[in-house]
This record gives sequence, C-alpha cells and structure tokens, in this order.
Amino acid sequence: MKNYKEIFWQEILPRLEKPTRYLGNEVNAQIKNHEQCTMRIALVFPDLYEIGMSHLGLKILYHLLNERPQWVAERVFMPGADLEKIMREENFPLCSLETVTPLAAFDLVGVTLQYELSYTTVLQMLDLAGIPLLAADRSESDPLVVGGGPGAFNPEPIAGFFDFFVIGDAEEVLPEIVQVLEEHKNLSRQERLLRLVALPGVYVPSLYEAQQTAAGTFLKLAPAHPSAPARVRRAVVADLDEAYYPTDFVVPYGSIVHDRLVLEIFRGCSRGCRFCQAGMIYRPVRERKKETLRQMAQKMVRSTGYEEVALSSLSSGDYSAIGELIQDLSADLAGEGVFLSLPSLRLDSFSQDLARQSQQVRKSGLTFAPEAGTQRLRDVINKNITEAELISAVRDAFAAGWTNIKLYFMLGLPAETDDDLLGIVHLVQQVLNTYKQAGGKGRPQITVSASVFVPKAHTPFQWFGQIPEAEIRRRQDLLRRHLRLPGVHFQWHGAEMSLLEAAIARGGRELVPVILRAAKLGCKLDSWDEHFRFDLWQQAFTENGLDLAACAQRQYALTDPLPWDHIDAGVSKRFLQREYERALKGETTKDCREGCLGCGIALLLDKENRGVCINENLD
Amino acid sequence: MRIWIEFALRESLRFLSHLDLMRTWQRALRRASLPLVYSQGFNPHPRMAFASALPVGATSLGEYVDIQFAINITDKEMAALQAELPAGLEILQWRVVPKKAPALMSIVKAAEWSVKVPDDQELPERVQKLLQSASLPIVRRTKRKVSTIDIKPYLYRLELKPSGRLEMLLAMGGTGGTKPREVLELLQIPAAGSDLVRQKLLLAAGPYLQSPMAVLLKEKEVFFNAKADYYQL
Ligand code: SF4
Repeated sequence: MKNYKEIFWQEILPRLEKPTRYLGNEVNAQIKNHEQCTMRIALVFPDLYEIGMSHLGLKILYHLLNERPQWVAERVFMPGADLEKIMREENFPLCSLETVTPLAAFDLVGVTLQYELSYTTVLQMLDLAGIPLLAADRSESDPLVVGGGPGAFNPEPIAGFFDFFVIGDAEEVLPEIVQVLEEHKNLSRQERLLRLVALPGVYVPSLYEAQQTAAGTFLKLAPAHPSAPARVRRAVVADLDEAYYPTDFVVPYGSIVHDRLVLEIFRGCSRGCRFCQAGMIYRPVRERKKETLRQMAQKMVRSTGYEEVALSSLSSGDYSAIGELIQDLSADLAGEGVFLSLPSLRLDSFSQDLARQSQQVRKSGLTFAPEAGTQRLRDVINKNITEAELISAVRDAFAAGWTNIKLYFMLGLPAETDDDLLGIVHLVQQVLNTYKQAGGKGRPQITVSASVFVPKAHTPFQWFGQIPEAEIRRRQDLLRRHLRLPGVHFQWHGAEMSLLEAAIARGGRELVPVILRAAKLGCKLDSWDEHFRFDLWQQAFTENGLDLAACAQRQYALTDPLPWDHIDAGVSKRFLQREYERALKGETTKDCREGCLGCGIALLLDKENRGVCINENLD
Repeated sequence: MRIWIEFALRESLRFLSHLDLMRTWQRALRRASLPLVYSQGFNPHPRMAFASALPVGATSLGEYVDIQFAINITDKEMAALQAELPAGLEILQWRVVPKKAPALMSIVKAAEWSVKVPDDQELPERVQKLLQSASLPIVRRTKRKVSTIDIKPYLYRLELKPSGRLEMLLAMGGTGGTKPREVLELLQIPAAGSDLVRQKLLLAAGPYLQSPMAVLLKEKEVFFNAKADYYQL
C-alpha cells in the first residue's frame, strides 16, 4: 500500500486552509498499529470536522470500540472544499484522521445518520473513498457499511446504500456486532450479514422486499429470508448509569461548534411533545446518578483540561435532582477554573430555585422552547406549558442576571392559524415587558427562532404532511413583519431546506435513486447554505418521476401502511394513533413520569429494568 | 508565581494558530492540575501571554510564554506540565520573573529565522544585492490601506549557508519590523518557504540583543551586538 500518511502530511496538509482539523493526533486521540488489530472500524460523520467532533454519539462509540486493544476505531469526516478538490484532482482517497488509512481498507464503516440533509454527504464520502455507493455493487473486498442514529429509524430512503443499519442505542450492540464480524471474518458478506440479523437493532435491508397491494400501492416491507425478523426491534441501553461513557474525550486543537465537555445526564424524554422524534425514539427516560455524574465530570476535566462542562439531555431541567446536581457540580468545578453550562435547559422546567443555583453557571444565554404561540396550539402539540409559567420563568432568568434569551418556535404545525403566529409576537412582547418590569437595564437580547415543522417518522405527527412552500414563506413573512421590535432578533430557516428534509424524512425506498442522483449531480453538505442546491434536488426528484413538494406534503391516513412500519422503535403505533387523535381534539397528555401511559416501550425492556414503565400497553 | 518558559514547537503543531496554541497550553496546564491566576471580571481568563505569535506553518526552537501560577513552581511541576503537553511542544527552560516584569510582547525586538531555500544559482547574487541596497521598499496591504515601507533598517542580518538554508535576523515588535515572508518575496523565493524555523527570540537590552532568559539572569551574557556584528553584513 502507498504511504498515504507521508503523502498527505508532506504534500497535501501544508496547502490546506485549516490543517488542524486533519491532524488526527489531538490529545486523547487513539492511535494504534493496524497490523496488531483484528478489526478496523471507520467512524464516519457526514459533515465537517467541527460539526462531527461536536457530536456525542460518535465520541461514545469511538472510545467504546477502542477500549478493546485488538480493535481500532478511527474518525473520518467530510473534507473541506479545498481538500475535496485536491483529493478528486490528485486521486487521493478519503482517509481516516488518525493513521491516514483509506476508508476502503477498513473492515467496517459506521456512519452517523444525524439528519436527512447529510445523506448526500455520505455518498460523496463513499465516492471519495472509492467504495461503491450501492450496497449491491460492493465486492467481497469492500468494507461493510452500517448506518445508525436517528436517521436509521426510517432507513428506507437510504436503504440501498447500507449493508445494514443499527436501530437504537448503538453502544448497546455495536461491540457485539464487531465481535460477530471478527469471528466470521472469512465468511462472505451475505453470510456475515446473516449472522448479524439475530442481534437486537440490526436491520439488513437487502433481506426485505416491498410487497404491494392488489391495487399496486405499497403494503409493507417483508422479510425475504427466513432469518430476517418481521420487525426489527430497537436496541436499548436499559441502565444508563451502568452504561459505558468515555471520560477521555479527544481535545481538538482548533475550535469546534460545541467546544466543551458534554455530560449526558439522562437519555429520553417523557414530556411527549407530539412533533418530537427524539422524544419518542429515545424513550424511556434513563438517568445517571448524581454521584456518577460528579465523578465523570472530574475525570473528564482531568483528562482533557477543558474549561467548560455542559450538561446534556433533551431537557436538562427535568433531571430529577437538577438543583442539587448543578450546585454540587459547580462547586466541584469551580476549584478547577471550569465553567458549567446548561445549553439544553428549557423554559419548561426553569424555576426560581434553578435560577439561583445557576448563579455560578456561565450565563451564555438561555434557550426556551415554547414551540407555539397560543395555548390552543400548544395543547395540540402537547407542549404543556402556560403563558404564565413561561413569563414567570423568564422573569426569574432576568432576575438571576440573564439578558440573553433564545425563544424557539415552530411554524407550520398542524392546525396552525395566523392567530397562533400572532400569539408568538404577543409572547415576545410579554417577554420584553417582563424585562422592563424586572428592572433590566438597556435592551435584552431576545433571539426568536422559528423553524419549519417537518413531520418525522415514529411521532404522533407522522401522518401529517408539511404545509406548501408558498404558505411557509407567507407565514415566515408575517412573523418577520411583526417581529421588528427593539432588542429582538428574528431568525428563520430556509423554506427549501425544510421542504427537502420533509420530502426525505417520511419517504420509502423510492427515494434511493433520487438521493443517488442528487449526489451524482453534485449535492453535498445540504444543510450548509453555501452548498445547498435546491434546483439540483428538484431535478433529481423529477428525473425519477417524483415531485419533491408532493413528497413533503404527503398526508398519510391513519390506516395507511407506512414505509417504516417494520422498524419497531418501541413506542407502539396504537399509542401514536391515539396521540394523533388527541391532538386533533386539542387534548393534552400528561408527562408519563406522573403515571405510565403504556406507550409500548416497556416491552423492549427486561422486567427488572422497567423503572417507571409499568404498563405494557395502552390501558 | 510568575514564570517565563522557553519552549520549542515542532512537527504538526506548526499548523496551530495562535489561538489554538493558547488553548493547547491552557488545557495542558489544567490536565497537569497546575492552578493559574485568573483575571477578574465576568469572563475570567488565565494570566498567560506569549511573546509573539508564530506564523502558521513555522516551527520554533525558542518561543516564550509568560504564565502566572497560583502556586509555587519547581522542576516537579514543570515535569508534570511537560508530560501533558502534546508531542511537538517541549519545554526548554524556565525561570521565575519578578511580578513587575514587563510583558514579553512589549520588549521582544528581533527574531532569528532559518529557512530552507530551493537550489538556485542566482540566489547568492540576489542576497548580495539585497544587502547592498540602500533601501528595500515593500508594499504592505491591510484591509484599510496600502502603504510602502522600507524594510532595510529591519534586516539586521542575512546569510545564505552552504547547507542551503537562509538565515535571517529580523527586527520585530512595536518599533517596526519585517517578516521572513517579506524578505523571501524580495528574493523571489516562493512564499510557501517550506521548513521555516524561528531559531530564537531576542530582547533589546541597552544596545544589545539578548535572549529573554539571559536578560533575566542579569549576567549580561551578550549574545551579540546588533550594530557591530550585523549591520556590517
Ligand atoms: S412505558 Fe410508560 S412511563 Fe415508560 S416511556 Fe412509555 S408511557 Fe412513559
């Protein structure tokens, strides 16, 4: 094999704009001798280094796999435009960071599927690596390509590109997967995949075939091989407190997007917001104990020297002893000159007490997510907070010294009217007034962000279509006109990106050729404004006989078969249907920590690990 | 306790920006559990400063950093710090400095550089011409303006070694200076100038240029007399 490392370091690196992202020898990077390893795993994050290195899941898997001395896991990110150009012009393959080993030389390529808009980047990376894009075209010498992360919960739009998927908590099954592959190294691809299907969370798309109804419409994806299960059950880490968590995070040289240590305090969320995929697919809530977290934080700071630790979860204020946790952690860390920050602290759970606790916490800005502007619409989406609670939380935050507040809303939610949008404006005005009343000096900095609702698989809103593009623009415009207020900065998201996201998120296998075509047309890094080419995407849809807008707006009936029905995320379809119906009636559903609703998750858990999940099914 | 550390920066760390280097040191200090003195205020930062930013891509055999520790420092602490620095950063020597010592940044006066230059028959002649010219005007562009500056007074020494390396002693700091890149441009050497090394940083001590450590030792160890040795070249 060519000495890729030498060529890269001598001839390529000095020409790059940001060389530090390609060095691969950061503090705590795991550099091993491949010749002494039995399994080589490339962990691919389909975005730039600065984004990928900010992602927790990747860090967990990286260190978990490298714990085994005979396995080596290395990181691979999408190269910047300058390096990509050099690679294509000079025929230099995509390589891992640590040892500059071509991606194609690994045994297993694991891809994080964080968002739909990264799918073409996955294909560009495979292309740069010289790995055939379609799993069916890969030869025995090519690595197996596995995808995991939230994107794997509706794997069909990208089914053709992956040899298999891991549904659920990858840290639960990936070591087992690698072990099986290690034991059966000499078997053919097909044989190896057949050994994997028995493991929880493993979905091998080539073992399934689409069946059609008599009328020729989609019926279901059914196993085409006796060993493939009819439904693939999500892998779950039952006891998070006992679960593996690295403390020796890699320390990047340059600054990355989330440049701090991440302390995952719990996984899952019990609030049951009906639009939220994370709130459904990461159930149930699993907490780490306070003492465990304190020890982890200490170790992390010692091994990395980072100056900031951030609590992470879907809604950190919901941690059962959040006040004590903040108090103890900030006391522990203050001695080391380290800040504590709470990026995911949501208004829902912000209290005076918490505000006081947070005195020692870096006031980097608080994020509050009311999501909708009126009580009526908040009831529809099951965002159980009232305006009074909201205002009181904001008042506490102002009193505790915050001046910088971010309010997150969603636009285009089911049943949304202009009154709901004006409700957002009204809320923002209330927040401004509260600031004055709280005796705040000058102007607060209120950032109002309105994203466009994208219906996602495995949520109660999975049956809804997205609103048409023109309507998105009209609503954005309405908000923009009304939010020209002093101290208020309004942010909105490109309608076209949301449209594409929606078109892919609930699609089926018919999208495989579309995404392939888009990549061939040059699409990549679609979530970056400067790379996003909506025209090329539209072309890719049209050439395959599909209409992008129609896919995004597609409305499913409650009884329709869905392309992801064979993926068992744990939450039952019956539960989602009931939540859908309650939404239409504007009925809220309580937080399930106050009483189990029988969402179906319990069936995924061993009897002794069910915690609050006591009901197996809807009562 | 306030100390100056002289360190070498080698290998891949030459790609670090000044800010990256600052972070790298701060994190190594925290890993070594060496408490620092922090500035007061809303966003406290450690009292720590480098003598001069090294251009990205250059290595160095004599960088300086000034750090205020909240504890007493001995060789033991320095060994602990060295153990936490990434490969490519090496502590060469360190000395305690008086609390009131000026900031290194304000007293560095010159730097010695060495760079590998491509084989070129005509290069010696160009070097000679440069040394003999009465003035060396160059054009500098900033975002706001374009100006012409004579860098001749800043070129203390220039010598092409038989080894194929060009050695330069160039003024820097508040009273004006020039960078290796500018001299290389005048010599029509491609800017990429591979293997640029900053050999040492020098302070002005009276009429002399001395190493910061030598100034600290107050031994009047004269490295060289700028006027006598270098202007003549
Ligand atoms: S099983 Fe019950 S408690 Fe557990 S996540 Fe579902 S509804 Fe909540």
